[in-house]
Amino acid sequence: MGLVCRVVEQAGIPTVCVSTGRDLTAQVKPPRSLFLNFPMGNNFGQPFNIRQQTAILTRALELIEEVEVGGLLEDWRQPWTEAVEYFTGRTGQST
Amino acid sequence: MKPISYVDELNKHYGSMGFPAYEWTLNETAPIIRPGKPISESRVTMLTSGGISHCTMPGFNPDARNDHRLDAVDPHVASSDFQINDSYYNHNDADQDINCVFPIDRLKEMAEAGVIGSIAPRFWSGFMGRIYNRTKLIEESVPAFIEKLREDAVDILVAVPA
Repeated sequence: MGLVCRVVEQAGIPTVCVSTGRDLTAQVKPPRSLFLNFPMGNNFGQPFNIRQQTAILTRALELIEEVEVGGLLEDWRQPWTEAVEYFTGRTGQST
Repeated sequence: MKPISYVDELNKHYGSMGFPAYEWTLNETAPIIRPGKPISESRVTMLTSGGISHCTMPGFNPDARNDHRLDAVDPHVASSDFQINDSYYNHNDADQDINCVFPIDRLKEMAEAGVIGSIAPRFWSGFMGRIYNRTKLIEESVPAFIEKLREDAVDILVAVPA
C-alpha cells in the first residue's frame, strides 16, 4: 500500500497512509503516514467508537497539509487497550 | 508497548508456508507534493487493502497472492453491507463495524460537517497484500487507478493497509 501511495503522490495527488505496521511502513516510506500501535484491522480504533475513529481520520487528513518532507511517519500517542499480538491466522483467536 | 515487527513475523510465517523469501522494499526517500487547496475544499477518497467487498460482489480470495483486483465502492451504500475475506488479519471488530478499517461513515460525516470539501463518487478496495510482482503494480495497476482518481477529480487519497 505504501508503494501505491508513492506512485499516486508522484502523479500529483497527495496521499496519507494510516498504518498499523510500523516497520513495514518505515521501510517502504509512503509520503506521509500515521502509525497506530493497534492490531491490524483496527487502523481507526475500536468498533462503534465514533469519537476515536473521527479523531484518527482527522489527524491523518491534517498531515496532508502539515507535512513538508516526504516519508514522515507520525506515531499516534494513545495505546491500544490491551496487548497487541501478531495474528497467526488461527480462527477464534482474539487480539 | 513496542510495535510488532511484522517483517520478522511475516518472514517466519511465509517461510513456514513454503513461500520464497520476500524481498522487502527499502526506500531512503519519499515523494511529497503540497496540496493545491485546503482540506475543507478538497475531494477525498479512500483505498483499503483489507479484503473488503460489498455484499453484491464476490468475496476477495482470503489467501490471495499477486491479486491486483480493485473494486470501486459506492460511498452511499450502508456500511453494514460489506464482507471481509482476508486470512492475514483479525477482522472480528471490523466485521461488526467496517469503520474500524474503512471509515466510510466517518468520512461522510466530515463532508457533511464541512471539514472536507466532499467525498469522491467512488471509494476503493483492493491491492491486497502479498503482491510479489511489484513492477506490474507500479507500471500498470496503479497508473490505471490514478486515471480513475482523475476521472473523479480526487484531491486526496487516504490509504489503509490491512
